[in-house]
Amino acid sequence: MNNQPELVLLKNRRPDRPATIEEYRAGGGYAALAATLGKRSPQEVCQLVLDSGLRGRGGAGFPAGRKWAGVKEDAEFPRYLIPNTDEMEPGTFKDRVLVNADPHLVIEGIILSAYAVSAGKGIFFIRPSYEMDAELIERELEVARDAGFLGGNILGSGFSFDLEVHRSAGRYICGEASAQVNAIMGKRAHPNKEVHMAHQGLWGKPTIVNNVETLSCVPGILRQGPEWFKGLARTESGAGTKLYCVSGRVCKPDVFEMPIGTRLSEILDLAGGMCPGAEFKAVLPGGASTEFMPKKFYDVEMDFEPLKAVGHRLGTGAIIVFDKNTCLVGATLNLIEYFARESCGFCTPCREGLPYIRDLLWRIEIGEGKEEYIPLLREMARHMDRSYCAFAPGAAAPVLGLLNYFEEEIREHLSQKKCPYKGLGIEFRDSLIPMEKTESTAPENS
Amino acid sequence: MPQLIIDRREIEVPAGTKVIEAAARLGIIIPRFCYHPALGSVGACRVCAVKFLEGPVKGVEMSCMTAAQDGMVVSTTHPEAMEFRRYVIEWLMLHHPHDCPVCDEGGHCLLQDETVSGGHGLRRYLGLKRTYRDQYLGAFVQHEMNRCIHCWRCRRFYQDFAGYRDYGVMQIGNRTYFGRFADGPLESPFAGNLIDLCPTGVLTDKPARFKGRRWDLERAPSLCLHCSLGCNITGSARYREMIRVEGRLNEAVNGYFICDRGRFGFAYANHPERARTPRLDGQEVTWEEACRTAAHRLTRISREYGPGAIAVWGSTRSSLATLGVLQRLCREQGWLGPQFFNSPSRERKVKAAISRLDAGVAVSLADLEKADFLLVAGADPVNEAPMLALGLRQAWRRGATVVVLDPRPVHLPLEFEHLPVPPGGIDLCLDLLVRAAVSHSATEGLLPEAAAAFFNNLSCEYPGDQPLQDRLVSLGMKLKESKNPVIVCGLDIVRESTVVLAADHSRLLRAAKDRAGLFYLLPGPNAFGAGLLSLAGEPSSPSYADMLAAAEQGRIKALVMMETDPFRTFAGQPQFLAALDRLEFLLVLDYLPTPLTDRVQFFLPTTTVFEEEPSGWVNQEGRCQQAAPIYVGGRPISQEGAGSHPPRVFLAGIPGGEPQPGGQTLAALGVALKGTGAPLYLEELDTWLAELNPVFAPLLESKVTHPGVRLLPEARGDYAFSHPNKATLRDVPDDHLELLLVDWTFGTEELSGYAPPTQEVEQPPRLTMQSRDALRLGLGPGDRVSLALGGESITLDLEIVENMASGMMVLPRHRQLAGQKFPEGPILVPLQNIHKV
Repeated sequence: MNNQPELVLLKNRRPDRPATIEEYRAGGGYAALAATLGKRSPQEVCQLVLDSGLRGRGGAGFPAGRKWAGVKEDAEFPRYLIPNTDEMEPGTFKDRVLVNADPHLVIEGIILSAYAVSAGKGIFFIRPSYEMDAELIERELEVARDAGFLGGNILGSGFSFDLEVHRSAGRYICGEASAQVNAIMGKRAHPNKEVHMAHQGLWGKPTIVNNVETLSCVPGILRQGPEWFKGLARTESGAGTKLYCVSGRVCKPDVFEMPIGTRLSEILDLAGGMCPGAEFKAVLPGGASTEFMPKKFYDVEMDFEPLKAVGHRLGTGAIIVFDKNTCLVGATLNLIEYFARESCGFCTPCREGLPYIRDLLWRIEIGEGKEEYIPLLREMARHMDRSYCAFAPGAAAPVLGLLNYFEEEIREHLSQKKCPYKGLGIEFRDSLIPMEKTESTAPENS
Repeated sequence: MPQLIIDRREIEVPAGTKVIEAAARLGIIIPRFCYHPALGSVGACRVCAVKFLEGPVKGVEMSCMTAAQDGMVVSTTHPEAMEFRRYVIEWLMLHHPHDCPVCDEGGHCLLQDETVSGGHGLRRYLGLKRTYRDQYLGAFVQHEMNRCIHCWRCRRFYQDFAGYRDYGVMQIGNRTYFGRFADGPLESPFAGNLIDLCPTGVLTDKPARFKGRRWDLERAPSLCLHCSLGCNITGSARYREMIRVEGRLNEAVNGYFICDRGRFGFAYANHPERARTPRLDGQEVTWEEACRTAAHRLTRISREYGPGAIAVWGSTRSSLATLGVLQRLCREQGWLGPQFFNSPSRERKVKAAISRLDAGVAVSLADLEKADFLLVAGADPVNEAPMLALGLRQAWRRGATVVVLDPRPVHLPLEFEHLPVPPGGIDLCLDLLVRAAVSHSATEGLLPEAAAAFFNNLSCEYPGDQPLQDRLVSLGMKLKESKNPVIVCGLDIVRESTVVLAADHSRLLRAAKDRAGLFYLLPGPNAFGAGLLSLAGEPSSPSYADMLAAAEQGRIKALVMMETDPFRTFAGQPQFLAALDRLEFLLVLDYLPTPLTDRVQFFLPTTTVFEEEPSGWVNQEGRCQQAAPIYVGGRPISQEGAGSHPPRVFLAGIPGGEPQPGGQTLAALGVALKGTGAPLYLEELDTWLAELNPVFAPLLESKVTHPGVRLLPEARGDYAFSHPNKATLRDVPDDHLELLLVDWTFGTEELSGYAPPTQEVEQPPRLTMQSRDALRLGLGPGDRVSLALGGESITLDLEIVENMASGMMVLPRHRQLAGQKFPEGPILVPLQNIHKV
């Protein structure tokens, strides 16, 4: 088991090119579609997915079956399904690999999920820097259409569904479901907590937004059953496999498909261990909006519940590895820099609080930090919980991790009045824009 | 009805009420920036955080986003909530320029209040402040973006509430920018509300800039007189000068907002050329002398030629007291008049409208927002009564269908069905539409007899336009589904029969669906009051024109003109001036510097709505409201000192403070005429009015308090449907175009025509016609055309549009066209009178 875990999502992955429809079908691809459309009721499909324990892979980990059940049987039509490939969480690149490895697995998953909620139209929302992937999907959609898997009356089942690719204008917040829906409608990409997507989403109609990794699990569940899917996991509470992205100071950064709940240490081994000369210091377990985990969590099971039990989050399963020579103040500053820039600007804590946190971290990093910044940082980072959406709490997570586990490192900055890691490792600070150049301007006038 | 406890006090509120509102009902004002009752909750600023101690929600949450629920125990002063709020204010202040000393908002700034009360004092943040570039947003609104705290109110009002798109938000994060894509005047005629809404000094009142702090100002609740809607305002004056006007909440009329004409049109009160002293034979005299002499001359004329040789003109821009005393004087003395309307058809239309309104069918502007089908017949809301457009938009946002039957190129900030039919076609359209909506009730015999008889008389085809007829029938089917339809009828361009039909159709709809409303637009802020007096004044007073002809023939020897500008009707006509010259006595009373005030020998200055005395005004719904005086009057100090410090002299009175309220002046004149036995004109006014017309009776029962008293008869079951001679479709010959004289938001209304800020934004008059007519005349876009009318001709730019009726031309009654005499409508212009120059 340890050596040969079953591959579900990346089994057709090859080093040089995406799998073709023939290759996908040779491995049983589209069989679930043929066996499901018109043969099982959408409610049955929903139930199977619910039974399988599939949880959302986009970061929040909400059970997919429960999300779908939000679209009631008597809900309005048309209904929409939005496969979310925005993937702007720093450190996360699993969706890109998945789409590139086996586009038809993704497409089949989307069609089946659309069937489960009786959606007639899908909008494949993709990050603009994934232009090649967008083109790939568009090409493969044509192939699927020619094969009769998309369009009117699919496989004679009476179910019609089509999928269209929408390129995002490229903002982190567009990954949030309600902001994504606003973006598709041509509005500002603000989250909207006042309407329930399953009731009033895109154009006011029932809408389901799911990460593509989540959707890609569906064909397997339908083909091999929920028990099989549950059995894939290494933990009691988990289900399925997970795409773990490993980046940072490891020898072989990559995406690894492993049973969910695989221990962190094992995943890091797969990534070839630490770079020569580098010694493990911390990881971000699930992308930039999770807390740093120090060495004591080295053996933690990488699944939603076990991580939650120790006060952490699986997030997107994007593991970013930091070594002893990397300044975590600098690393956090780098992340906050990103979040402060990407804030949609709607609510105060996020819009103004993140730049404030950034400013304090920057002062600490350049040796101008003061003792009182530490409680200030902690209070402000906690207050981010009271912002409008989950963006700011996520942004504050690495700050809280830094404060919880690496306060000593901050104090070293204070006492030495400089960054103690200067010249030792990666200098995030060099990539920063000096504070003086962040002023904003009005749009230029013609 | 959820029950909850806020700060240890229990309260029960309707389901769906947010905690911030529930607290407000207890008098607890939770800090807020983004929350506004009219714009709703969005949860952007996070300053309304409170602590939920017990109940379904726990912890620190936003009170604007949380609906009150049973069992909630809320603390607004819990240390956790206060601590978070302190941080929010600190964040908001990170980039604020702290330029309160030079900021116009200082003194009434929500950000100042919350910063001080929230306990944020010292700025801990060491980073540089973000700076923005400000924009030029036109004559009304000053932009100072650095002060912005990103509450989103401006964008939410401008785009969501008002429906305009040229102002909004750009960029993200803490670079988020509120403004226009490029510098330029704001397109919305409601943009001034941004000034009231902005919780800090980003958007401030440009004409009032640097003119005084809130605590320097004399402020009072007043009314807008720039159309008939009667929107509530708060006026501010300083140094004897009206400084600014803000919207004032009246939930039955305008809500929180007003239009820009109402906000910036007030400056007529400060006009430097306003005559402020009583004048007799060109000499300044005292009030006593003026009254005595006026009474003496009028008595002499009455004795020599009979009281019928004295004629009285009034207008619809006078207070109810002025109108009432004027009417009483005429009755007592036997004078001709008063005539309040400048054209007989206008008078007939107003009387037809108000005599058909009753408490059952009349809807307020606020009621109209709750309608689900709005049938607008012959009205151009943005131009005639802008706040109506905002009301229609709110109805539309709630799902209402809006249909406009109007020949003009009507624009509304909402999606609506515009059927550009000629004025003669509106009656037919009304018939067809309502017929389709109620025919099932009629065939099932559900209509009362009178309504059924009226139904049977309805026209059933629109000759020569089958597609239009089909469209009307399909809209009628929508109207059939409606539960709360309202007919809106403008009086300006419609035929007289349309005014009657609008009332009849609203009664027919009411008979078919139990509920239907009627909403007229009237000419002038007190047209309803004037109309009520005219209705009681049978036989009708002769028209302005008839009186003028009588003066020319020598039958009328004296004329009293009370707050009316005949030049707007008989502008510069030699005949008019000759007639005035033949008068033995011409008395003009006014608060505007009309062309007449300089010419006449005998002039008495009156006060504006803002000065001296409270005044009553009846809006188009029949709602009598009171405007409180804002300041005592007098010539603005800025004018007194000619730009410098006013002269240091001791005076007994206020310089330029002679003007008196019109009613008071007339009462004094009455006393001078009758001597000691004269009645108490003002004190007994309400009693006298109620005797004259019982509709005024509510004025006796109670003081006119907010939100006003409706002067309407009770709804009666026996409404008498009329069968008016409907306008005929083809009443314009083929070789003619009908000229419609219309109102514009800016440039045509009388009072705002004297105000520099509104003058600044008005566009020059232009002639508008449909492309087919332009083609027929060989005219193209951008042409200048000459239009010959009654021997004179005017030259104008031509505008060619698609969305108006053909066979028509539209021309604003622009103040820049003063000097042009227009015949009584409908005005038919032969094609050969229009040509390119």
